[in-house]
Amino acid sequence: MAHSSEATVGHGDTPHEHHQHGSIGTYMAVFVALCVLTGASFFTYSPLWPFSDHVAWAFMMAVSCTKAMLVILFFMHLKYEANWKYVLTVPATFMSIFLVLMLVPDVGLRMRRASEERLRYMAVPQVTDTPAGQQAAPHPDGH
Amino acid sequence: MSEEHHGHLQLQYHPALPMSNGKTFMWLFLSTEIMFFAALIGTYIVLRFGAPAWPTPHEVHLSEPIGAVNTFILILSSVTIVLSLEGARANRAGLAKLFLLATLVLGSIFLLIKAYEYQAKFSHGIYPRKPRSLIYERPTLAYASDVRQRLTQITANLTAKDTRSAAEQEQLEVATILLAHAAEVERLAAKSEDNPAGILALNQLAEMIAPAGHGAASSHAGGGHHSSQEAAGEGAAGGEAAGEEAPGETGGLDQLLQGADQGLNDKYHWLKLPIVIPGGNMWASTYFLLTGFHALHVLVGLIAFAIMLSMQLDIRRAPHIENIGLYWHFVDLVWIFLFPLLYLF
Repeated sequence: MAHSSEATVGHGDTPHEHHQHGSIGTYMAVFVALCVLTGASFFTYSPLWPFSDHVAWAFMMAVSCTKAMLVILFFMHLKYEANWKYVLTVPATFMSIFLVLMLVPDVGLRMRRASEERLRYMAVPQVTDTPAGQQAAPHPDGH
Repeated sequence: MSEEHHGHLQLQYHPALPMSNGKTFMWLFLSTEIMFFAALIGTYIVLRFGAPAWPTPHEVHLSEPIGAVNTFILILSSVTIVLSLEGARANRAGLAKLFLLATLVLGSIFLLIKAYEYQAKFSHGIYPRKPRSLIYERPTLAYASDVRQRLTQITANLTAKDTRSAAEQEQLEVATILLAHAAEVERLAAKSEDNPAGILALNQLAEMIAPAGHGAASSHAGGGHHSSQEAAGEGAAGGEAAGEEAPGETGGLDQLLQGADQGLNDKYHWLKLPIVIPGGNMWASTYFLLTGFHALHVLVGLIAFAIMLSMQLDIRRAPHIENIGLYWHFVDLVWIFLFPLLYLF
């Protein structure tokens, strides 16, 4: 791709003049990073993953946030934008986090004080050959 | 800036943000989209982690490698759209159009794979339905009763026919054997709520129809790929035990369970019996809502790409490609979170 090498040189040498662009080289580096990170989060699913499920979740979420930042900063050019970017992204992010936190007492902890009837008909973690209840699943969170 | 001009500031009137109106509104739209998807994903997280049980990917026929391939396709399409933008900025209309076409094709592949995945869920009866879905949270008396009613309906429909084909005759025989067994299980379970024989029979009935993922708890250490096969093996074993449980029908039932490692619903597709997946209903609701809204966004992006393809994509169109590109990157962004949350947790 002759065009891409031109563009890489052109923008790469003078990043401040072309501050609205990322270079083709940057895009390719981001693409490779995204692929590697996808592989990394897929790795938690493989039998070789050495840590517990909880570590796997934390790891996957960290990987996802990293991927999201890469896409936002470089593909969406937010790295090169003026300060208006904070006006849009910071409140939206905070509202998203608050939303999840506000749902925790009513929805997330709904089974803590469930009625007798609800407990009777709720799902049991695993269907087993033994009578229900004898073999409570060690990991209610599953995979 | 204005410090040189003491007294009378020579401020330049800035009518808006230092960018085009289109881009401003695309970003405003995206910030509402962030909150829209944050609400969906956040609710999913809270529902999922507060749930008493959640199905493993294998129980709901979710394939992690397919999800990973779809992730790769969307990332690749994000690169092609950004290359299309660079092409337009360099005033190379042909190049821009080529990359835009590539993005359109990749997005279409994503949707096709998604449709294939949906089909796998639908064919196993995993979808929300009125008045209730085929999914039961646990094998209860109501479950056995529902199984019996479904089998009664099948046999009644087949018996009512004047002439039956060979296949239909076989269906009738299978359904009759199963109906006798289901009625026996229901009778056992109805004796009292907590009698062990009844609970055992109910669990075995559920295992026969659709084996649950027994390997789920140890899937991380033991390798997730094999858990469905392990589960199938145990399911078949459970089925044989169930045959002993119901005297009188042993021979016929054993024969039916031959080769039904994936459950009777899988061996006889026309059965469509109720299945037991703990947490399966909530899973189906959240899965179809999240992936459905994401797929709609992909579809809207594809329509926009198709419209753009009819234009001359030179430097004058670069702002438009940038806006649609911003939207497309956001769709990619949502999938980046959906993939681990839905497939890998």
